[in-house]
Amino acid sequence: MKLTLGYIDIRDIQLSNESKVENGTLYVSADAVKALVMEDENVASVAVDVARPGESVRITPVKDVIEPRVKVEGPGSVFPGMLGKVQTVGSGRTHVLRGCAVVTTGKIVGFQEGVIDMTGPGADYTLFSKLMNLVLVIEPKDGLKQHEHEHTIRMAGLKTAAYLGELARSLKADEEEVFESLSIKESAEKYPNLPRVGYLQMLQSQGLLHDTYVYGVDAKKSLSTIINPTEVMDGAILSGNCVSACDKNTTYHHLNNPVVYDLFRQHGKTLNFAAMMITNENVYLADKERSSDWSAKMAEFLGLDGVIISQEGFGNPDTDLIMNCRKIEEKGIKTVIITDEYAGRDGTSQSLADANPLADAVVTGGNANEVIILPKMDKVIGHLEAVETIAGGFAGNIRPDGSIEVELQVITGATNEVGFGTLSAR
Amino acid sequence: MGKIGWNRPLRFTGRTGKGIDMDRFVLTNNPLVREKLQGEETVEFVETGFMELLSHARDYIHGGHKLLTHPLSGSVKPMETPYKSLMLTKSKGPLDLSSLGLIENALDACRKFQFRYEKHPERVAADFQFIDWTLIESALR
Repeated sequence: MKLTLGYIDIRDIQLSNESKVENGTLYVSADAVKALVMEDENVASVAVDVARPGESVRITPVKDVIEPRVKVEGPGSVFPGMLGKVQTVGSGRTHVLRGCAVVTTGKIVGFQEGVIDMTGPGADYTLFSKLMNLVLVIEPKDGLKQHEHEHTIRMAGLKTAAYLGELARSLKADEEEVFESLSIKESAEKYPNLPRVGYLQMLQSQGLLHDTYVYGVDAKKSLSTIINPTEVMDGAILSGNCVSACDKNTTYHHLNNPVVYDLFRQHGKTLNFAAMMITNENVYLADKERSSDWSAKMAEFLGLDGVIISQEGFGNPDTDLIMNCRKIEEKGIKTVIITDEYAGRDGTSQSLADANPLADAVVTGGNANEVIILPKMDKVIGHLEAVETIAGGFAGNIRPDGSIEVELQVITGATNEVGFGTLSAR
Repeated sequence: MGKIGWNRPLRFTGRTGKGIDMDRFVLTNNPLVREKLQGEETVEFVETGFMELLSHARDYIHGGHKLLTHPLSGSVKPMETPYKSLMLTKSKGPLDLSSLGLIENALDACRKFQFRYEKHPERVAADFQFIDWTLIESALR
């Protein structure tokens, strides 16, 4: 499968009476976006705002972050199975409005959504502070149940991102990059002397607000399977997960998965990026065993020499991570796991809820329990009081001077487990 | 209800029939879970705190019951929420070491986290109940 990504660089967003992209500025008609979002009768009202890097702005509670993209050539459309039809994506040509994002906010439950600070110390912990963000503050109609609220906000974000992406359809790209995934046979023939490396992406799938969708299918209902890595670039995997801001994968993370992109960039040079697999993280123990057995079985069947495994979230998924790692290692295949840590405020506690001596090659996204003071921002888009009850926040943590004491856990993307973060040992 | 055979389609997970007739029960301190599962599943409701509920589960495991769900929630810190629901087998057998390991690890994980719940406003209690309910519900399907 061959996909060309055409990047159109966005350096500013301006609200205007007409939506268009001109000279690196994304002009957005707030009225058009509002009308689009209000098509859903579950929406009582929506406000559209802009947050730029360096501004004294805090966005909270963040539900999802989505990058505007559009399918220019090739089968299907972006966000297949959710917005578009289920036709297989990942080939042809896709345009990307790079440097901007749609951010949705909403107090679906009283906790578990995140914070993005556009300046100050908090901004250093999330790459979303470097983007031009179009923020949707969506108020649901009275009495809307939580799962309907989540669905409403999810669809509003995707529709808006697709609407903005459409503006890039006929534009000339500032930069292009070509990604080609070969069949097992082709890659083995083309790169016989390079190690065959696979990527196993674990998807959060524990229930309402903890879900991930693949072509619109709830990941908890699927057995582990193979996906072409270019499919994720067209939004085949997207987030219905709004728990634990620091290590949940937003839709933006799925579209820009650094493990996928970096493996492609090494493909044919230091390694043969032979396959990408996805697996879930279910609550039921038998499901954990079945899914990890399946992943190990696939890795062996595909003749892989090594597998990179990335987790999503923490808690009982640590068990899935260790199961996947152990079972694949037991097949004689080397693994590297990417995770984050809950090592306590002083960093001395065991980082994961589970462990095994075979997990001896670990890349960490950082310690989510680390405490940080976030200074007061001039403007809050969303609801500031949500910070008290966000995971990692606590009652009374808004100090008299307006600054807040929180764990890194509250910052969206702070300890991201596909490596889309700033924390590093370098 | 007919015997399982060619004509009766199995649901995806292969878990058929009423929960209440199956070899499982839900141990919980969440009143919402008790309410939702009334008549559908066997529920053991204990009005107690988070860690105490895990200790109860450990007692059952010592008695030979096996864990069917993982005792830690996904992406919800153990001491963030006071509510926990777990699924165990009704039947007993020899001590299941992997269940024991899981529950002891879970208790360890709790001790690592500062208990936060008292500091949360009342209005969030309903949300915590709801999230715990959705997590156990996903295992019942």
